[in-house]
Amino acid sequence: MSAHSLLEFDNIDKYYGDTHVLKEVSLEVDEQDVCVVIGPSGSGKSTLLRCANRLEEIQAGEIRLDGTALTHPEADINMLRQRIGMVFQSFNLFPHKTAIENVTLAPQKVKGIDDEIAYEEGMSILEDVGMSGHADAYPNQLSGGQQQRIAIARALAMDPRVMLFDEVTSALDPELVGEVLEVMRALAEEGMTMMVVTHEMGFAREVGDKIVLMADGKVVETGEPKAFFENPQTDRAQQFLSRML
Amino acid sequence: MSDAYTDGAAADGSTTDRWFNDQTLKRAGAAIAGAFTLAVGVLLYYIVDFADPNLFVRIIPRFLEAFVLVLGIVAGGSVLSIPLGIFVGLGRVSKTRFTNAISTGYVEFFRGTPLLFQLIVIYYGIPALWIQNFGDFPISNWAIPAAIIGLMLNHGAYVGEAIRGGIGAVPEGQMEAARSLGMSYVQAMREVILPQAWRNALAAIGNDQVILVKDTSLLTVIAVPELISEFRQVNSATFDPWTPIILVAILYLCITIPLGKFVRYLEARSDWGGGDRR
Ligand SMILES: Nc1ncnc2c1ncn2[C@@H]1O[C@H](COP(=O)(O)OP(=O)(O)OP(=O)(O)O)[C@@H](O)[C@H]1O
Ligand SMILES: [Mg+2]
Repeated sequence: MSAHSLLEFDNIDKYYGDTHVLKEVSLEVDEQDVCVVIGPSGSGKSTLLRCANRLEEIQAGEIRLDGTALTHPEADINMLRQRIGMVFQSFNLFPHKTAIENVTLAPQKVKGIDDEIAYEEGMSILEDVGMSGHADAYPNQLSGGQQQRIAIARALAMDPRVMLFDEVTSALDPELVGEVLEVMRALAEEGMTMMVVTHEMGFAREVGDKIVLMADGKVVETGEPKAFFENPQTDRAQQFLSRML
Repeated sequence: MSDAYTDGAAADGSTTDRWFNDQTLKRAGAAIAGAFTLAVGVLLYYIVDFADPNLFVRIIPRFLEAFVLVLGIVAGGSVLSIPLGIFVGLGRVSKTRFTNAISTGYVEFFRGTPLLFQLIVIYYGIPALWIQNFGDFPISNWAIPAAIIGLMLNHGAYVGEAIRGGIGAVPEGQMEAARSLGMSYVQAMREVILPQAWRNALAAIGNDQVILVKDTSLLTVIAVPELISEFRQVNSATFDPWTPIILVAILYLCITIPLGKFVRYLEARSDWGGGDRR
């Protein structure tokens, strides 16, 4: 396993008003690793991901991407966000754009890539997520699973260094969860660095390289999947697992 | 079953014992529509009987001239009020205090005072200020520019509120998704938020633009030779109100009905895959 850590959370604190939602969180996501974040509702998992591409601001500490402090006030956030793909629970596809337009919009507008090249690259990414047959469909003509796969393709089209997934299967009908997890599994196998918040324990165990358990805004336990699931060290982890499994 | 549930006609699901049921509503509707048609028919008969075909033909050219002028003023006011409204809408959702306050003040003023008053301010007030401070007012036919500016400023406020509402109806996640791809605020607004806000606001903007057309009737007060001005001249010369009234009605509807159709066409065009969810 490569030792180079690509995304680093260094002692971060996050408040919403007076509520302290992330408490001195430190965490490293190694290159090509899949870091799975689990924990009870309200423990701060989404907030942690959102801080990693500055959808939320932190009040203390530092988050670094490949050594660059992205939380620095003078960081070029639009530049850094291109290196961090994000996939949301509610897909958030652009409803006025077709599948392929959703995928090519940012490469064209942000990176200034030629229309034709963007289209070809976009089609090949849609192919990878099994959606090239629906390139001209609008989001509301597609199922949730299909929409989520396009959302993944849209993030991938910016050629990010790391992908963040926030409970991306939670809004899906049970029979559609598999197709999305399959895409994520393939992505992990290709060596994409990923940070995944999920309640899918099977996925966490099989695909994860590192499991992070959060509770009350803190990282309670970190470990490799096998060790974590079979032999949790802390009471919190034991409690959480006994409720999940 | 307790008495509370056997109250009135709901007990056996039938409503036939009530005097106001689906059948009576249907019949009442038809009866009212019939009476209305009859009244309009009689009125139209009297009007056509009253109207003077010779006069009608003679006044067509001057009314057409007024009509073309109204069309021009509507086009000017409309074309200018929409981009202005988009900027006002953006100002209204801005998190920059100053921008937000200024656009709010603008909207409050232009929606809070009558258009007629605003036209008077522009038509009479501005030249007076100019003359006092800079000498001769440079624009000789000020009525028409004043009309276009007044309509633009007034309807810019309404379009702005429609756009603000349209932006507010776009889910938060759209901005987040756009920003997370590295788009700037401006890019996200232009490519993602505004197209959706525009669709959301289209019906309201369409309504407002129809009102703008009808608002041109106020321009008679600032000496614009529009349809109502023409009516007044013809009427005072001939003492025949009905012949010019017919023409005025036809000409207003010639603008407002196609405009309404155009707005519905725009709405249908931004269907984005519509309801045929697979
Ligand atoms: N915008 C906000 N304003 C105030 N408090 C917030 C806001 N967003 C989240 N919180 C609070 O921050 C805490 C962490 O929320 P977060 O959404 O990160 O939890 P989570 O672990 O993702 O939970 P879930 O599993 O339900 O998604 C919660 O107590 C939540 O109530
Ligand atoms: Mg969450």
